[in-house]
Formats: sequence, C-alpha cells, structure tokens
Amino acid sequence: MFEGLLDGYTRSLLIFAGINVIAAYSFYAPFKTGQVSLGQAGFMAVGAYTAAILTQKFGMPFAVALVAGGAVAGVVGVAVGFPALRIKGIYLLLLTLGFAEIVSVIVLSWDYVGGAQGFRKIPFNRYTLDYVIVIILVLLMLFARLERSSLGRAMDSIHQDETAAEAMGIDVVRIKLLAFGLGAVIAGLAGALYAHHATYMDSTTFNVMMGIEILMFVVVGGGSTFLGPLVGAAVLNMIPEILRALRDWLELVPVAWTNFFPMNRVYDFLHDFLDFENAKRLIAYGIILIIMMIVRPDGLVTRDSLRRLAPARWKAKHA
Amino acid sequence: MPERSANGVCLAIEGLTKRFGGFYALNELSMQVATGHIHALIGPNGAGKTTFFNLVTGVLPADKGRIVFEGEVVDDARPSKRTLRGIARTFQNIRLFPHLTVLETVMIGAHCRAFPSVVGALGKAVLQPPFGEAGEERTMREHALELLSFLGLASQQDAKASDLPYGEQRKLEMARALATQPRLLLLDEPAAGMNPHETLELDETIKKIRDRGITVVLVEHDMRLVMEISDRITVLNFGTRIADGVPNEIQSNPAVIEAYLGEDVKL
Amino acid sequence: MIFQQLINGLMLGASYALIAIGYTLIFGVLRLLYFAHGEVFMVGAFVGLYLVVLGHANIYVALIGAMLACGLLGIIAVYVSVRPVPKDRPLAPLISTIGLTIILQNLAVYIFGGQQMAFPETIRQELYQLGPVTISSVQIFILVTAVTLMLALWLFIERSKTGRAIRATAENHETAALLGVDVNRVVLITFVIGSGIAGVAGVLDGIKNSGVSPFMGVGATAKGLIVMLLGGLGNVPGAMVAGLMLGMIEILSAAYIGTTERDFFSFLILILILLYKPTGLFGTRTIEER
Repeated sequence: MFEGLLDGYTRSLLIFAGINVIAAYSFYAPFKTGQVSLGQAGFMAVGAYTAAILTQKFGMPFAVALVAGGAVAGVVGVAVGFPALRIKGIYLLLLTLGFAEIVSVIVLSWDYVGGAQGFRKIPFNRYTLDYVIVIILVLLMLFARLERSSLGRAMDSIHQDETAAEAMGIDVVRIKLLAFGLGAVIAGLAGALYAHHATYMDSTTFNVMMGIEILMFVVVGGGSTFLGPLVGAAVLNMIPEILRALRDWLELVPVAWTNFFPMNRVYDFLHDFLDFENAKRLIAYGIILIIMMIVRPDGLVTRDSLRRLAPARWKAKHA
Repeated sequence: MPERSANGVCLAIEGLTKRFGGFYALNELSMQVATGHIHALIGPNGAGKTTFFNLVTGVLPADKGRIVFEGEVVDDARPSKRTLRGIARTFQNIRLFPHLTVLETVMIGAHCRAFPSVVGALGKAVLQPPFGEAGEERTMREHALELLSFLGLASQQDAKASDLPYGEQRKLEMARALATQPRLLLLDEPAAGMNPHETLELDETIKKIRDRGITVVLVEHDMRLVMEISDRITVLNFGTRIADGVPNEIQSNPAVIEAYLGEDVKL
Repeated sequence: MIFQQLINGLMLGASYALIAIGYTLIFGVLRLLYFAHGEVFMVGAFVGLYLVVLGHANIYVALIGAMLACGLLGIIAVYVSVRPVPKDRPLAPLISTIGLTIILQNLAVYIFGGQQMAFPETIRQELYQLGPVTISSVQIFILVTAVTLMLALWLFIERSKTGRAIRATAENHETAALLGVDVNRVVLITFVIGSGIAGVAGVLDGIKNSGVSPFMGVGATAKGLIVMLLGGLGNVPGAMVAGLMLGMIEILSAAYIGTTERDFFSFLILILILLYKPTGLFGTRTIEER
C-alpha cells in the first residue's frame, strides 16, 4: 500500500511512529486497571526475538512469526502478571523494570541470538507499514469498545479503588491478569514489527529508556481515554519534526531583520537550539515534558475534553 | 428472591477467632442471624465489629472457627467470590470510585451478575454493536436506575460520585452494594456523620431493603437507630459476645450497660 | 586474590551506597522516585573534572565544589520540577523528573560531547601492603571519604534536630507538620543533602575509573534503585549497608561466574526482594500507604 505515494524516509518515519503508537497501547492496557508497567520494552524484546528467530533461523513467513511473537510475549506477560498482582505502586514499577533489564541481560549473553554483536540480518518485511496501520486500527476499535463496555468500567473501578471493586464482586485477579497479558501481547507485536523493519537489534535496543518513553506517551497523551495513547505517541514523536519545521521557518526570516546585534545573537541561538541534532532536540523534549506536567498533568486528552468534543453522541448514549 | 437457608438461619458464626499478634480481635465468637432480620452488632470501640465484617466478607482470613452462609460453609479466599455467593457490604469510611458517575458506580455492582466470566465480558465488549446499547448494558442500566430511584438518587445519575454530599454518598454505597443482588447486606456504620433527618431516612431505607427479602446486619453506634429498627442485637466486647437478644432485653442487660460505662452513650 | 576482590567490591559498594542514599532519602520524605538523581551524580563528576582540569584545583576543592554545585542543582530541581507539579496524580511528578533527567543528560552531551573524558591523576599513586592485600592510596582515599561521608550522614539523621525532622516527615507529613516541622523546608534540605552526596560520589567515581562520561548516570540510576529497595525504602542506614552488599555481590559474581552475568544477579535480587521481602532487608521508613 502507498508504494508510490511515500518515499522511503517518510515511510520509515511513519512506521516507527506507528510502532510507538502500538507500544503506547501496550502500556495502556494494564494501566487501565491501575498497573503501571515500566517493562513493556521487555515484552517487545520477547516478541521481537521470538519472531526474528522464526523468520531468520526457521524461514517462517512473517505473518506466522508476528502472531507467534505476540503469543509468546503474552504467555510471558501472564507469568510476570501473577506476581505483579499483589504488588503496587513503586514496587510494581521496580518489578517491571527489573524484568525488562533481565530480558536485556539474557539477550546479551545468549549467543544464539547474537550475544554482544546483536541479531543481524533479520529478514526485511516490505509490508510493515500495512501491518502497522491495520494493527493500530484494530487496537483503536478494541479500546474504544472496551471503554464503552461493562468490562472497561470494571477495569476503571479496579484502577480507582481495587478493594472496593473486589468487594463488589469484580473478579480483580482475572481482569488484572487479562489486562497485563493483553499489554504484553500488544508489546510483542510491536517488537516483532520493529525487528523486521530495522533488521537489526541487540540488548540495548529495547532498553529502560524505551520503557520510560512508552510510559510517557500515555501519561502525556492522557491515560483515562482510549485516544490518549494515540495522541501522546503521535505528538511526542512529532516534536522533533515540529522543531525542525520551526527552524525552517526561522530561516525564512529576512536577513535584514537579524543582521544586527542583539537580533543576530538571538537568531543564532534559536537556530542552533532548533537544530535537529540529537542532544539539543532532547533538551527541548525534556523541557516540554516538565511544562506539560505542570500545566496539564492529566494528559492532553481527558474524559472531560472528550465529553466537550462529542456532547451530542454522549448525550444520546445516556438518554 | 429465592431463599436458600437452613432452618431460617441466614448466617451462622461458630467460634470465630482472629488474632493480631497477641491481641485477639475476635475470640471464639458464635452467633446466628435469622433470615429476613435486621440484626445489629454493637459494642464499644475496638470490640471487634469491623474485624467481624472483614472476616465475613473475606478481606481477612480467620484463625479459627466457621462462617456458614445459608447452610454452606464459606471459606473463599477472595472477597469477590463471597460477593458472588450473595454477601455484600458497605464501608465505614466510604470507598467510592472517585472518577465514576453515580450511575456508573451502581452499574459496577451489577457487573458481577451480568458477566460472571471475564472472558465472556471481553467477548461482549468486543462484539457489542457500534452504536446504541447492547442488551446486557441496557438491562444493567435499568436495574441500576431502579436502585437509584429506590434510594432517591435518580436525579443525580450523571453527577460525579465524589461531588455528592456526604449523606448521598452513603446512599450511593448502599445502592452499589444492592446492585450485586445480595441476600445478606452488611452495613458498616451507615449512620456515621448523619444528622437526625438523614438518620430517619436511613431507618426507612433499611426497612425497605429488608422488605425486599434481604437480611441486613449492621454495625452501628447510633443507639436510637439500633433500638428502633433491629429485630435482634448482638453485643460484642473484647472480641466475644456478651449479650444477644431483642432490643428490650439488651437495653436492660447489666453486662451491656457496664461495657458502655464511660462511653457517652444513652441506651 | 579474594581480598583484592573484596576491596573492589567495597569500592563499588560505597559508590552504590552513596547514590542510593539520595534516592532513599527523597523517596522517604516525598514518596517520589527521583529519577534524575543518577544524572546529578554525573553532573558532580563533571564539575569535579572541570575544577581539576581548568581550575587546577586539588582534589579536596573538587570534592567540595561538586558537593556545592550538586546541592544547588537539588534546589533548582525542587523549584522547577517538584514543587510546581501536583502530587495527587502519582505519575506526573515522575514524568517531570524524567524530563529533568533528559535535560541534564543531554545538556552534558551538548556541552561536553558524547565521549568519555579522562580524569587526571590527583592523588599520588602509592601502593600499600596489608598482609595478603595490596591496596593503593587512591583506593584508600575513596573508601575513607565515602565512609566518612556516610558516618557523618548517619549521625546527622539519627542525632540532629534536622535529622529528626526528616525522619518525622518521612513517616507522616501531617503529624510532622503538627509537631512544628516545616515540611517544605525539610523536602528542600533532603534534596540538597542527597544531591550533594551524589555529587561527591560522582567525583569519587571519576577518580576510581579515571574518567567520566555523560552517560554514567544511567547505570547509577538502575543500581541506585535496586539498593534503595534492598535496604528498605526510606531507610538511610539500610541503603548504606545494602549498597556495600550489592557491590560485593556484583564483584564476586563477576570474578567467579562471569562479567555479563553480574548484572543478572543484581536484577534477580531485585525481583526476589520485591516478591518476598518488599520492605527490604532492613525495613522501610516512609509514609504509610493508605
């Protein structure tokens, strides 16, 4: 799809952005029940490596490998989900973090998947973008429906007061496990897609920073509605592009306006700062994060903002 | 509502014991609650009343003794299983879901009856029609609205639970518990913080609940309310039963009066 | 041979301990995972480096300079990323400290480049023989400084009035406030102390490794968290002991089992503690969960 319309660079950009969106939903699933996991990158790694082993070492078609990657990640997810049931807050953060780190270490020391050299020459999948788009659409539909359903409400209730939910007959254990496992499956799919587009990965690919970024997508986008992860991932991924566009606009300023002091200094500083070079872009990113948490800690999309945007349909639902 | 009771006994407690370190919160407590009664549990602070609730609802495991509900021994480890049996509760310090609306809160209570299986619930969520309401959703909503009307909260259905005044939050907790279709309802200090007018309303409400065929056990400090509505009262002190009888008997029981000496309570 | 490893383990452990102190202090009073703490450690190392290289300072000045600079950084962190963010949404403060982490790390990369930089020799290298053990003057210096710092902090926390205020705040904000403690000021002091110590730890690490890098904070963060948990959340003496223990375990497992596996053990310990003794080896000392 879109073969003729997009050049390779844009295509790649969209793919990585799309994978980030999928990863954001992998965080969102357990988060809906109140489980904050910093370990989704670890599940991505599980999915990625499972799929890559199947395609590169066993010659299986990508579709099969993708499903297998998700499935294995899901099984591991449920396994990790069990001990996660009875721990909360910072302890859960640390547990999931520890899990991701252990996966990293295992990958590093397992020569079958390349060890320190990394897993090379993963078969490139031409249709990654198509898969990404389809999966995102499915996820949107799934989570939109979940939000309107009794199960979705039950998950919210667990998030807001687990003890009360349990007392009202909500099967907290099974629902939390389901959410956690679902998150792991989604992460596994994201990882498999990544591996077959980047064609290379090693123990540093799915690292702590990625786990943190995934968390950020949802917190910045808004963790209380199904659109939050999409918006968060899209916006945060677009910031470097926005900054680059800003710099391009800056260059359109007539030379005469900035030929003199102090404007030339200001211009140089801004131009330098908006440079696409990694470190500076990330500094801007960090500043944006802090400002966002001060100004809009609930995220960009909240229940109230959705209500205001679609009042007619909402009122009809509750008529 | 079908009654499955053994000889009219809804809840039988036999030798129930709970220790915290060296301290006995409940010590060989035995008592019976008759089906269809409003049964009050009173006693000075620290007598073990909330621990009793926590043991019956499964929040804490018992060290010794048995809990028999409608003739069956109850030993489920998880509170949600006990709720499915038909035992529901409210909380002493109200535990509502801060960001849900009043209607949604009550519908949470209804969830366990509509969707006993998680996989089923997931299936229904995924397969629901894209617009409008699925069958179960409508049934749950109507059931919830009925309960809200029953408790006088229908006009508030879209308000955020945490925005309600205190008295109405207590009523909401009751509505939520009722939505689980219990046959035994445990009310933990339902009159706490209420003014006399609200307490009168509560009096009526509890009686209406009983009239629906639900056995009610309440822990309370408001003696006027207790004496007025209870069919039977059990008095606890130091984790054991010191008296058990109808309100008149309890009022004139010397052991009970002595237990309350020093407490600012008029029996 | 084993004694040599023990010394190395102590040195690594001292480093972990000093970092974990900051984490656990801050978590204790705020229930906040101050992610940026590892970067504060890195900043301290760079401040020390520049004082030595550009300012031709001796090692003591470098240490004190790093401590002061990082203490200042702690104050800035409180005013910029802690105070303005509402605490009732638990993840927001975490994200803002992550934002701070990103800023600090990339500021360092921007200013110093992404490569490791050499830390010049500041202490005359001499070797001493104590029985079967050979120990260098550098190692002695590091250990003595670290232990002195830890001892001083321990005395401060357990015996001084401010230390008591810190412990009271860690247990319960409301009670502490009722007792006349200025909770905001205590939080600020905690940040300053924790950051200052991390700064010193950074310089010490620079000396030990003869180099500093803008990315040295990342590993410090991970290990600092494990040690914090191992010692008990909010438990400062616990963090000290746990840090030393973890350092020993890592070095010994690297020596006798294999270098890549050494991290594996640390994270395995993390998981086991979380599952079986989340209060840590020595018990938590922090705001009770409701």
